Amino acid sequence: MPAERKPGMDHQHYDWSPLSTREILRWPDQARLALCVVIVLEHMEWQPPAGSFQAANLAGGSVARPFPDYARISHRDYGHRVGIFRVLDVLDKYGIKATVAMDALTAENYPYLVRHCLDRGCEIIGHGVSVSRMITSDMSQEEEEEYINESLSALTGAIGHRPVGWLGPEYGESIRTPQLLAQAGIRYVCDWPNDEQPYPIKTPEGELFALPLMLELDDVVALAHRRVPVDRYAEMLKEGFDVMYQDGKQNGRVLGLNLHPWLIGQPFRIGFLDEALGHMMRRQGVWTATGTEIIDWYKSCHSGD
Amino acid sequence: MALAPNRVDYLPIIDRPVIKWPNEARVALWISPNVEHYEYLPDNKGVRNPWPRTPYPDVQQYSYRDYGNRVGFWRMLEPLDKYGIRCCVSLNLAVLEHFPEIAEAMKQRDWDYMSHGIYNTRYLYTYSEEEEREFYRDCIETLRRHTGKQLKGMLGPAISGSVNTPDLMAEAGLIYHTDWMHDDQPVPIKVRSGKLVSVPYSIELNDSSVLRDNHYEADYFAMICKAQFDQLYKEGAESGRVMCIALHPFLIGQPHRIKYLDDILGYIMSHDGVWQTTADEIAEYYISNYYDQAVAHAEKLG
Repeated sequence: MPAERKPGMDHQHYDWSPLSTREILRWPDQARLALCVVIVLEHMEWQPPAGSFQAANLAGGSVARPFPDYARISHRDYGHRVGIFRVLDVLDKYGIKATVAMDALTAENYPYLVRHCLDRGCEIIGHGVSVSRMITSDMSQEEEEEYINESLSALTGAIGHRPVGWLGPEYGESIRTPQLLAQAGIRYVCDWPNDEQPYPIKTPEGELFALPLMLELDDVVALAHRRVPVDRYAEMLKEGFDVMYQDGKQNGRVLGLNLHPWLIGQPFRIGFLDEALGHMMRRQGVWTATGTEIIDWYKSCHSGD
Repeated sequence: MALAPNRVDYLPIIDRPVIKWPNEARVALWISPNVEHYEYLPDNKGVRNPWPRTPYPDVQQYSYRDYGNRVGFWRMLEPLDKYGIRCCVSLNLAVLEHFPEIAEAMKQRDWDYMSHGIYNTRYLYTYSEEEEREFYRDCIETLRRHTGKQLKGMLGPAISGSVNTPDLMAEAGLIYHTDWMHDDQPVPIKVRSGKLVSVPYSIELNDSSVLRDNHYEADYFAMICKAQFDQLYKEGAESGRVMCIALHPFLIGQPHRIKYLDDILGYIMSHDGVWQTTADEIAEYYISNYYDQAVAHAEKLG
């Protein structure tokens, strides 16, 4: 439905809240900035099921070719076979625990990777069924509930507990996704890249927070969609961090960095991630945290609300 | 239940048999010029339009490619020769028939030949199994007739394929397929009969992806090739890595670009521990020394 011309948002998911007028958020130990690195482990399907939706700008394979597109699906698989280990090694170097957004097909078919991520202390969050099956408003409510359940059940089976965070494949949502996620027991969602602090999402059932990522710093958006040179990307990360670090002195910020191992984990790219994170981690007052740690802290600060 | 197409066992790079290349090399480097011919009036089978810009012919795009054979190829040879590179050409085999001087230049340099189909405007998508069998017979026979060499591998024509491609390649006696962008080492590809491996080609270090699809310039191409080498060279101290640089004479052979190819090759070839080789040799070496170990290890990992 088109927006009504009145103050506030044109939907019911959250309240209008400009950061400039917001109460002060303080991170643990007076940190200025919470750094949350999200790593996406998602599977691109050989032949997606009929009726499934793929984003028009879905990246992989340099260009998309007709079926069977060996180059594209195998380019994506590079992340699971090779890239993920490079990315985790760089994060380890700086003591950063990753938040891994893992889809159902990865959880079910790559038990080695699931164990590996858990052994390295990653938090695993829901990420749909596959990147070839994005959530959209074309789904009926029943289909969407089934889809969310399929994703969370697969992860629960693989990791031994129910995940509490969610990032939709390609940031995909219908108009009812936040409510369905809350109903399914999800506590935070990363689909809305509209802020530099967490904020509450309004749901009839459950308690849901938004944990925003920085869309322009997402490696797929920067490197694949916008074709930013990778050395320039490292500079963007550093420059973005510097400003948020400065701003975080007044009011705490969260830098949500979304990374895809098939892309940033390529040999020629990984050094630039290392360089950018090295720049960030040289500073005092940077709290590296998983999604749940950030949301727990945020909630504890607002428990009187 | 394995994920379709169930051609590759999961082998994480941190947990697989250690690869030692000949002479303790860290990186097996292969350079793959794509020497191609695109037809003036191709047959559009309706799956992928060879010349999508205009009704045929598209003389701008046709002659842009043809420049590669008339001019760019010869300029590209200069830095390749300077550093003594023996290439593994990704070859549209009809080039051997159309352009004998190019065939002769490749033979003189003792390059290896990987099939890239007959023409870059004839894709495999619509081939029946029998048509695809005939296609491999044609590729093998054409290469043998013109060079005396046995065909060992393929990059699908314009990176096209069918669901049967790996099976039919192996059946025809080919041993490697380079349409897989999934790894920095060769890995077994499951086929109905015989043995087939993937040898890492690149759609990242590829002048067509970088310059044409993604609109960077050659200084950037040189920078990422060197960064790629540095990373693989570091990792290759523990277990050998493969690095491929894919070239197209109509792109890298442009006058404003050629110095960057010299820059890349000069940088890499100044290092010890580089096995400058071909996909043929990498595939043979891997199959002789590591194929069985890799299969056994994948079974163990489950």
